[in-house]
Amino acid sequence: MSGRRTFPRTATAVPVVGLPSRTRPGAKKLAILASRWTPGSPARQVADRFLIGYPREDRWHRPAMDVVSLYVDRTPEVDQSRQRAAEFGFGIYPSVAETLRCGGDRLAVDGVLILAGQGDDSSSGPSAHDLLEPMVRVFEEDRRTVPVYWDEPLGLAQARKMVEASRQLKFPVLAGSSLPMTWRLPPLDLPMGSRVEQALLVGIGFGRSDRYRALETLQAMVERRSGGETGVRSVQAVAGEAVWRAGSSGRWSRELLQAAVARSDSLQGETLKDGRPRDLAGSGELPRLVEHPEVCLVDYSDGMSAAVLMLNGAVGDFTFAARLRDVSEVASTQLLLPPGPNHAGSVCLAARIEDLIQSGRSPVRPERAWIAAGILDRWIESGEKGGLVLETPELTLEYRPTAESSFCGS
Amino acid sequence: MISRRKVMAGIPAALLLAGCRPGTPERPRIAALVTEYRRRAHGQHIVDRFLGGYNWGGRFHRPPMDVVSLYVDQVRESDLSRDRARQYPSMKIYPTIAESLTRGGDSLAVDGILLIGEHGTYPRNEKGQTLYPRYEFFRQIVDVFRASGRGAPVFNDKHLSWKWEWAKEMVETARELDFALMAGSSIPVAWRLPRLEIPSDAEVEEAMVIGAGGGADSYGFHGFEALQCMVERRRGGETGVAALQAVRGPRVWEALRAGSWDRGGWDSELFEACLCRSLALTSTREGFDHSYPSLEEIPGLVKDRVTDSGPQLDQPLAFRCEYADGMKATLLLLEGLSMGWTFAARLKNPPRLVSTHFYLPVRGLGGGAEANFFSPLVNGVEKMFLTGKATYPVERTLLTSGMTEAGVDSLFRRQSRVETPQLAVRYRPTPEPTYRRHS
Repeated sequence: MSGRRTFPRTATAVPVVGLPSRTRPGAKKLAILASRWTPGSPARQVADRFLIGYPREDRWHRPAMDVVSLYVDRTPEVDQSRQRAAEFGFGIYPSVAETLRCGGDRLAVDGVLILAGQGDDSSSGPSAHDLLEPMVRVFEEDRRTVPVYWDEPLGLAQARKMVEASRQLKFPVLAGSSLPMTWRLPPLDLPMGSRVEQALLVGIGFGRSDRYRALETLQAMVERRSGGETGVRSVQAVAGEAVWRAGSSGRWSRELLQAAVARSDSLQGETLKDGRPRDLAGSGELPRLVEHPEVCLVDYSDGMSAAVLMLNGAVGDFTFAARLRDVSEVASTQLLLPPGPNHAGSVCLAARIEDLIQSGRSPVRPERAWIAAGILDRWIESGEKGGLVLETPELTLEYRPTAESSFCGS
Repeated sequence: MISRRKVMAGIPAALLLAGCRPGTPERPRIAALVTEYRRRAHGQHIVDRFLGGYNWGGRFHRPPMDVVSLYVDQVRESDLSRDRARQYPSMKIYPTIAESLTRGGDSLAVDGILLIGEHGTYPRNEKGQTLYPRYEFFRQIVDVFRASGRGAPVFNDKHLSWKWEWAKEMVETARELDFALMAGSSIPVAWRLPRLEIPSDAEVEEAMVIGAGGGADSYGFHGFEALQCMVERRRGGETGVAALQAVRGPRVWEALRAGSWDRGGWDSELFEACLCRSLALTSTREGFDHSYPSLEEIPGLVKDRVTDSGPQLDQPLAFRCEYADGMKATLLLLEGLSMGWTFAARLKNPPRLVSTHFYLPVRGLGGGAEANFFSPLVNGVEKMFLTGKATYPVERTLLTSGMTEAGVDSLFRRQSRVETPQLAVRYRPTPEPTYRRHS
């Protein structure tokens, strides 16, 4: 199967690397701004789907879109960007602006994919450069905007800039990783207007991206609550043995931890050896298993409290639980991340990105990324300050999410 | 055969009614009869859940019943049953099936029975069927029922007997003696990604299941269960299978290229839909994580697992099923192409294609060592023990047991098409879905 396209050239200038773009008539043109294009990178999991297609419902679907230009931040030995550019006929440009203008003098694409996160390769950090600022400048200078997908902001300042730019220049943004979009077991979204008292998300992984996606998924869940999102009042990081003491004193809910862990399908510890299901959270066995326990405690402005617990060593999946007022059953689910090589959790994300570029409407409010990035900044800062409770006036932010669910199978 | 009336003669009506109906004891007493109790055996996964509980519905669930007796047919070095009996002193190990059911007394002394005849070393016949002693166990259970004038619900793991006549007799006996009998694979009760049930007014033109794993007898059965749990809801209800043909090796690749049922293959859009529902499709493009294989590439991906004793899986393998009402279906076992089980069907009036993935949390797909695909199966069995009624009809598994045997027969008869008049099994599924949706 050849990915080469035999269509006329439309690029206006020769890129530094790769061939000038070849596009199909009528196909939307995509620019990709990536930290890198290597195994395990977001580019490999998301951008590749726009080159060779992906399974969409019953069919192997090839989006009517052509990647026409790429800016890539790093090209380590395992770099694949050059090979992709050669095979699929797009140019790699030395700057974000040139990428968006395909070497010309005007914005020359119909959509931008920013793949700046760390992905599954924890040996490599996120993008070293701010890919956002120069993109916004092109939008401003060329007086034209296009829909933007953005996997992960580098921090609050960047997330805020993105939200403000999208409001000001009126371009749609879909921000987020595949975790909030993937299959849920069971397919749970809290009903819009739920009165959420407390929420808890269990995550795994040690990288920045792992924490970020845990936080954005927590936010994706709770932003649907009654009154809409009104922001976060304070954030506190707790690590080590103090994590368990914080649970005992009610800083996070042990009931919700039990519910979340009960959604896990991959218990670690003794279960790995003997295959027996265990009541890890209820039996008190859990703390013994967790390597470097960490919890991020979040107090929201409207009184709701939430926690993200990183439980490496105890479970192998992401799970969520929430207690709603006047509902006796705790709501809980697992965010299914099928492993590589397919990383099938990103299939639905690809479909949402494609829809965004086709329709100009995002199923997700970018404010979610603002809150998640802001909590992450303070989580790290609080950790560095020995677990100090940090007030977060910068996270006083109101928004209402779209009512329609956007995860896989919803 | 002794009739139910004869067996029950002279027994007070109240006792008769109490037979396998719910409500007698607060906590049903369960006997587990297993061929083997070792790590990774079905016996371990199922009985461990009854003994120690499992995650269910967002909490750790402890079945409201007690395994009080255990019979293990083959005890080897790797056996765990003795260990478990020490850990759970209320569970006693008995040397015979009869004693485990009467718990040393002279009549039935349990309220539910787990018959787990999967794994262990049993002979294989010339057709390649492993002769697991499910029917033999069942006969001994029924002997105790008859002698006691009382029955109890029975769960039979996987297929009924490997032999059609015996499988049929198991179902007839349960009907005759009026005790609940449930059987089958964990696939019908697994999560479905996305949720899918064939609407009851839908005509199904053609259906397909793609799976992988070991052998016509063992994994063929799982595939037939996957197929049957979906198509049984079609318009007119199930009326059985009229003929079946198994195809192996290069003939499967001819079928792959044929492009339609009439040309000896299958609807290629069903094939594509199944592969697109996979969460683990083998990528054929070097350097890409998820690509769609070409027809030319597929044969190179499907590889049998070969050991010293020869090929183990007999793949590629296809089963072409002609249903009595005209529906056609193909089950494909293609180890190496993808992992897990997927389903697709072409519906008529209005014409449309539906498809889903049966999500079993196995290693490699997002699951762990605890093999939580056993949890919905165990939960369904628990419900039967509590209600005295099968959670879903055993006729499904009667039919799939027969299809499995017919498939093995067809292979044995040099892949010839076999007529299956005996498989005119009629049944209706429960109105409510029974697969895992919330819990």
